[in-house]
Amino acid sequence: MYDAVIKPRISETAQAWSTPGPVARGAPAALTGIRVLDLSGLAGQYCGKQFADLGADVILVEPVEGSPVRREGPFLDDRAHAEFSLQFAYFNAGKRGAAIDLDRPEGQHIVRQLAKYADLIIESEKPGLMERRGLSFASLVASNPKLVMTSVTPFGQTGPYANYEAEDVVALALGGLLYLGGYPDTPPIAAHGNQAYLAAAQFASVASMMALLAADEGGDSTGRHVDVSIQECVTMGLETAIQFYDLEKTVRKRASGEQIMAGVGVFACADGEIYLMAGGIASTRFWENLVNWMVDEGVDGARQLLEPAWQSHDYLSTPEAKTIFRALFAPFAERHTKAYLYQTGQSRRIPICPVNTPRDILTSRQLEYRSFFVSQKHAPSGRMLTVPGAPYQLQETPWRQARPAPRLGEHTSEILADLGYDAAARAALLKSGVIN
Amino acid sequence: MKPLPLHGIRVADFTWIGAGSFTTKLLADHGADVIKIESSGRMDSLRSSRPYKDGVPGINRSGYFADRNSSKRSITLNLKTEAGKDLAQRLIATSDIVANNFTPGTMEKFGLGYEAVRAIKPDIIYIAMSMQGSAGPEHKYLGYGLTMGALTGLQFLSGLPEREPAGTGTNFSDHIPNPCHAAFAILAALRHRRRTGVGQYIDVAQTEPTIALLGPAMSDCSANNRIQERTGNDRAPRAPHGVFRCQGQDRWIAISAWQDDTWGALCKVLGDPAFARTPQLATAHGRWVNRHTIDQGISAITCYWDAEDLMSALQFAGVPAGVVRTAADIVDDDPQLRHRGHWVKLAHPEMGESVYNAPPFRINDAPATPVAPAPLLGQHTDDVLTTILGLSAAEIEALRREEILT
Repeated sequence: MYDAVIKPRISETAQAWSTPGPVARGAPAALTGIRVLDLSGLAGQYCGKQFADLGADVILVEPVEGSPVRREGPFLDDRAHAEFSLQFAYFNAGKRGAAIDLDRPEGQHIVRQLAKYADLIIESEKPGLMERRGLSFASLVASNPKLVMTSVTPFGQTGPYANYEAEDVVALALGGLLYLGGYPDTPPIAAHGNQAYLAAAQFASVASMMALLAADEGGDSTGRHVDVSIQECVTMGLETAIQFYDLEKTVRKRASGEQIMAGVGVFACADGEIYLMAGGIASTRFWENLVNWMVDEGVDGARQLLEPAWQSHDYLSTPEAKTIFRALFAPFAERHTKAYLYQTGQSRRIPICPVNTPRDILTSRQLEYRSFFVSQKHAPSGRMLTVPGAPYQLQETPWRQARPAPRLGEHTSEILADLGYDAAARAALLKSGVIN
Repeated sequence: MKPLPLHGIRVADFTWIGAGSFTTKLLADHGADVIKIESSGRMDSLRSSRPYKDGVPGINRSGYFADRNSSKRSITLNLKTEAGKDLAQRLIATSDIVANNFTPGTMEKFGLGYEAVRAIKPDIIYIAMSMQGSAGPEHKYLGYGLTMGALTGLQFLSGLPEREPAGTGTNFSDHIPNPCHAAFAILAALRHRRRTGVGQYIDVAQTEPTIALLGPAMSDCSANNRIQERTGNDRAPRAPHGVFRCQGQDRWIAISAWQDDTWGALCKVLGDPAFARTPQLATAHGRWVNRHTIDQGISAITCYWDAEDLMSALQFAGVPAGVVRTAADIVDDDPQLRHRGHWVKLAHPEMGESVYNAPPFRINDAPATPVAPAPLLGQHTDDVLTTILGLSAAEIEALRREEILT
């Protein structure tokens, strides 16, 4: 039926992709010319952002009622509204947006057309759903042989858990990171901020880039399907836990709230906390600097820390050593601010740093020097938002400040027009609720 | 089967410890020829970090080192000597990528700063991953994975509000944010070089990728003037959402059942408990307001359940739930990771068979996996000098006598 309504104009170059971004400037972009369809939610949108920020043309395809990420806080001025989600605004900056119902044949047809000219599709639907929509990798690659499709799911496309339900906390649990978080006397505590989803999005970016490079190689004209498991991505963050079990048969547990060894851990100070790391890997080099500092600051009894016993990791790990050290260092730290302890400690070559709050980070002189934070327009309110900028500085092809995140359906009409849908066809699709 | 995606790419790898080595592991496990340049005088300190095979220390026995250095080759060069520097430069001349995560200035001391390297290899992709970036008022400050977690805000934001900030319990930035961002930047630069012939310098400050991930919390502070608090396992407006005790020693299950349908399904699996029948729990908002009551009610039932049985029952009912797995669980007993072949056992000359992480994604037709265990210190010195630099056995012997290859 939809074929009767729509008369697509199949041109040599896909017009839908040709609209230049507003950021064309002098320096070239590393990913210029790469066309990305981002169909994902929380587990993939950071991947699309990484591509957009290095110059790819990324179209976010949302459901007609809006991406579920639009319902995630925090909200600007605490206004719980689809256009005021700061989370959505941040993870989708730099993308254009189209709202299309992928469960309707007409919507599926639009995406199939867009996919013909895409280099990369990012999606995070349950395994099998894209196939039921007629949008499986196999069907899309048939009309676009170099297509890369990256599928991010909680457990991967196949296997005994493939159809299990998960949210961030569940993936953290089954990936082993949750068990390491928190205090010995509490339940395990999950890391802040959807780190499982974000881990998957980051690995999806790496994998997609590898697949794009491979698909782009001369002579190799076959696209790739990338299967990212969120659970598996979490297992990459377990530090030594796997090896302690494999090699020493020790199961690592959560241990926050205690010094790892004397001189390593969080200590309260006058206006918050600092992290000190003068033992452990660093102990032999920095212990003496630390003790001399304490002596110079008049900490009674600090000199005993120069005795030979304190050069031994085994001794530093004893409750006795931790207790003695805390009794000496804690009152000293409590007299001073984060900034004083950081600056003075570092000037004495001691690995010490503040446990930064978001505000400390926003006012960091080092980040200011690097122009890390950027100002980004929030179109619906007209406000300028201060948000993190370049997480890497590429000298020749710099990260670029992105256009604001799209309003719901902001570019639907423009993208469909470029595909050849005339005004009447677009109006019909809008009226029937296929697009927004 | 196609060649691995990075087949033909060579990395002169000066990285050590955490984030740098994990970055080049990603490249090595996907086919790049990663040559780790070490020296016995200034060893990667992870070689002398626990855990060791059977608990016995040794520079070739650390699991911490091993997992981060699969599929790489190791050569030892004394970079304090002119001849050592010369060999490093000749190796770089054959490389596509130079990687390091030293404090700024260290590579320059070895005569291997970006400008010097570019003179040898004009289209080199050179990545520096220092703690806080290559310039700025704090660029030479000391730091490690744990102090970095504190600098980035992740530690402050994770844990209980009334307790000291907990973080993730690991050097999180080292393992996911920094390696992933660095690898992505390198791959983007490779694409640019392939299209234009132009290489470049990439500067990654090891604090910045993690802060970038915390964009929502940063925006909340900059736009709403709010410093977010630690919330334990609460995630507004989701309730119930959290970790609940199960039968056995330190066994737990994570459950998120805040939507009407999953809440209903959870109650059914738990036997329709009386506490859940209260009318105010019928809405998501009501559940959020009463979350502490709900959490207690759930825990009072889950503590009689075996965690695996409960996960199966909840998943069968469509409720997001997962056992809080230990390292032992995920290596030995996770059927999904086994299905994906995540844990790879490789035979190492000193450690015997030990476990490595495979990459956490699969690219069809190019199944990457660690192909070789971590190298012994200097294991490939002769091999690399012979096959890549074309040195004769006599020349290598002479260099060794002069302590250039230590």
